[in-house]
Amino acid sequence: MFTLSCAQSRRRSRPPRLLAVALAVTVPGCLLTACSGASGSPHDQESAASQAPAAAGGSAARPSSARAITLLTQAARAAIATSYQGQELVSRWGNSGETILVSNIWHISGGQTVTQTVAAGTHSSGPYLSSDTDGQAPEGVLGVTMPLVRLLQTHYAVAYAGAGTVAGDNNRPAQVVEAWRENGTLAARFWLDDATKLPLEREVFDPAAHLISEDVFVNVRFGNPAPVHPPAGGVTDPQGPWTDPLSPGQLLELRAHGWLVPVGLPGGLSLFAGAKTQTGTGTALDLGYSDGLSVVSVFEQRGNLAAGLSGWQKTTVDGHVIYAAVPDQRSLTWSSRGMVYTVLADAPTQTVNAVIGALPHDSPPGFWKRLSRGFKRLASWVNPFR
Amino acid sequence: MSHLGDRLSALVDGELTGAERDRASAHLASCAQCRAEAAQLRALKQKLRSLAEGAPAEAAMTRRLISMTGPGGPLPPRRRPLRVVPGGRAGTRGLGASARPVTFRSRPARRRYLFLGTVSLVVGLGTAAFTAGGGGQAAPGPKITPPVELYSVQHAIITGEVPFSAPSSRPAWHTFAPGSGASAP
Repeated sequence: MFTLSCAQSRRRSRPPRLLAVALAVTVPGCLLTACSGASGSPHDQESAASQAPAAAGGSAARPSSARAITLLTQAARAAIATSYQGQELVSRWGNSGETILVSNIWHISGGQTVTQTVAAGTHSSGPYLSSDTDGQAPEGVLGVTMPLVRLLQTHYAVAYAGAGTVAGDNNRPAQVVEAWRENGTLAARFWLDDATKLPLEREVFDPAAHLISEDVFVNVRFGNPAPVHPPAGGVTDPQGPWTDPLSPGQLLELRAHGWLVPVGLPGGLSLFAGAKTQTGTGTALDLGYSDGLSVVSVFEQRGNLAAGLSGWQKTTVDGHVIYAAVPDQRSLTWSSRGMVYTVLADAPTQTVNAVIGALPHDSPPGFWKRLSRGFKRLASWVNPFR
Repeated sequence: MSHLGDRLSALVDGELTGAERDRASAHLASCAQCRAEAAQLRALKQKLRSLAEGAPAEAAMTRRLISMTGPGGPLPPRRRPLRVVPGGRAGTRGLGASARPVTFRSRPARRRYLFLGTVSLVVGLGTAAFTAGGGGQAAPGPKITPPVELYSVQHAIITGEVPFSAPSSRPAWHTFAPGSGASAP
């Protein structure tokens, strides 16, 4: 699962699908200008940048730079304090190939954020809206939040890469920050708006130097964003609400009540967030793990998977039979010992597979155990007093 | 000197009488060749008699062995008529003065059928139990279909990104309550 062959071949030789999608949803002239005027920008160096990690594979680890950390910290704060609006184009490359998400975003300084998804891959349908009424969640742009910046500088060498421009937004001046792994491979590159430090573009690479995600913020306007209006056709709510973020102590206390709360997961992922909510079938627990770039959410809920999972298909990861949500197969679920686990990940395939392998799975019963279980079931079926 | 010829076999069979037997005996006394032939005939006759006496028992044994080892699985129940004669030989069951046919099933056959029936029952039940015991262990708890949309929004909250799930078939509007919770507006 999670083969990247098809997607990788496309990644190397794009004119980017991102820009093609942007062309369809933004002002054509603006994007055409952006595409043709990309010369000399960091984005223009993407093919070289994509090659760079492999070339630098044997180089020594780079030290973090204070300037880079300062820039990322400013970017996380700017995502809350700055009023902005624009369009975010998100691309992910997974086992099902490339998936693209196009969203309109409005944010008022210190307040509400509205996200309206207008297209997602080839499955465009009704708009998907989200809003943040307090500016706390989502508190960042392009994954640049304070908790993740702290984790990023713990697990990666964060380096300042100089000034550049953002290709997708009329060559807007930007500061470029890179995150490097200990083995000298490039893990991510950020373009921060030169004036506001708001993140405008991010590329994430897996350890094999493959581009696995690209987020671009285009048509950005700062200050006095347009008023937010819900779309016609009513609103829906997924269920909730989620509780306030649980403290580390509260998370560990959950273990005493039968919840599985690992403090870390494979791939250097550390537990950094947690919350609970009530659903129609009971309490759901969310545990967030990250190394600053990769983020894995593990959702737990007591019970067993329903017999007929509509919208899911059976697959095998690391020898374990699980279910993947179609079409993007980004959500993975299975049940074990009376607990349903669902994993959502923004992480390299190797990390996701390792995480799935580290969580509990039911092993096939032995011969005698299966026979014993079968006799019990047969007895229960013929028991008239049951 | 003429030899006995055909009268030799008649002599051996005891078919000569009177003067003929005397004359044949006198000739045997003086003729070594006829004595040797007479001895051979007697030996042959003895062998034939012994074979004739043992043949019925061996034939019955052969039939029994063939019937036990024949192909086609277990033998069908066979009823063997036995005619019991009053005061009959040892090994037969006298049932009275009136001889009449009786039937019975041999004890080894009944044991065999009992054994095969028990084995079939055990194998059948075991197969059914093994089949029924497959699949996951049904732990107590509700049957759950993961709420992907809810999870996707929460995942977006902690990642600082937009929810990256396939849009629902109808417009969805999510607000995040103060402190991070998601709720309907």
